[in-house]
Amino acid sequence: MADTGNTEPEIEALLVDRYLESILLARERGFGLAGHDPSLDPELRAASDWLTAGLVRVHPSFRFEERLARRLADAAAAMRLPVAAGGETSSPPPVIARAAAGELDPARDMNDEADLFGHRARPLLIGGALTSAAVSLAGAAFVAWRLSRPVHPMVRAIRAAHERAGHQGGLA
Amino acid sequence: MARPVFRKVKAEEAGPNDRRHERRLVHLDRDRPLVEAALRDPAAFDALYRKYLAQVYSYAYYELGSHHDAEDAAERTFLLALGALDRFEERALPHDGDGASTFRVWLFRIARNVVANIRRGQRRHPVAPIEAAAGVADRTDVEDDVSARHEASAAWAAVARLPVERRRALVLRFVEEMSTAEIAGVLGRSEGAVRVLIHRGLRAVARDLGGRRW
Repeated sequence: MADTGNTEPEIEALLVDRYLESILLARERGFGLAGHDPSLDPELRAASDWLTAGLVRVHPSFRFEERLARRLADAAAAMRLPVAAGGETSSPPPVIARAAAGELDPARDMNDEADLFGHRARPLLIGGALTSAAVSLAGAAFVAWRLSRPVHPMVRAIRAAHERAGHQGGLA
Repeated sequence: MARPVFRKVKAEEAGPNDRRHERRLVHLDRDRPLVEAALRDPAAFDALYRKYLAQVYSYAYYELGSHHDAEDAAERTFLLALGALDRFEERALPHDGDGASTFRVWLFRIARNVVANIRRGQRRHPVAPIEAAAGVADRTDVEDDVSARHEASAAWAAVARLPVERRRALVLRFVEEMSTAEIAGVLGRSEGAVRVLIHRGLRAVARDLGGRRW
């Protein structure tokens, strides 16, 4: 046998893959489980057969299926309406609109920690901008108020006394 | 299981930098007519929805362990797919392997992301795979068969104990009956990596079952 550079686990993984393919093919053709493959570890073969029989497909309720079908039909109609007369009054759900506008790619590669809809990043960004703007506005308002407010006569007298004392001290 | 459909590609269909100047065979998505119909008229998306609802729902159910969450995931997946359908690309390159460019792979990539999103939201709530397994068993065609129900519960419990990527690979392989190339497309991994995931997952399940059956 030619040396393909595969390690033992890789070869076993290939054998498992081939066996699973044969199981799926046999099922597709209505033959039940595939024939025995003597080159495959019996424990792996038995586990494969066991999962093939035990992991069944789950079906949603008919009520859910029809409800979602109606929702998709409504969304599809809303997607068509903007090009038709009077379509301005209807719009597809926000998530569809965002996907259609290219704002999000729902099939992109992302790890389990990433947020498909960008919910985590967006509020922080908006919140930061709002906070920053609010601080800036408050600061500007405070400075304007300080500059424009009338000065009390007592404050003017105290400032004048401080200035005089400073001049005298500087001359001495 | 998805099987590739082939067609011949004429030289003029290849791009200017394409070195393939001769007629060749490429994999074609079996869903192409349905996708094209849905692109012409979004109402025709219903056919794709009916075809894949049970698969997407099933995948979400095995991932999330609750019918309510699975419904939520299925709904978001199909709404997103409808909205982004015009961005679906059938990348039929030979090295993608059989079926790697199919609409089903694209749809399951969306489902995978949606499930991850829901999982993030429910991280503080414990998942109960045993209850989920009981629910799975209740929906088999042999509802009265206690033995089959027990086997289904035990199978799901064994798979639920696996690390997340191995579990996903096994669910896509055994429940959704995807080829290795398709699973690689869904998980964003190479076919070799998927084979190793499945092999290690099966090995762990075999060990788990060792005391029970052999």
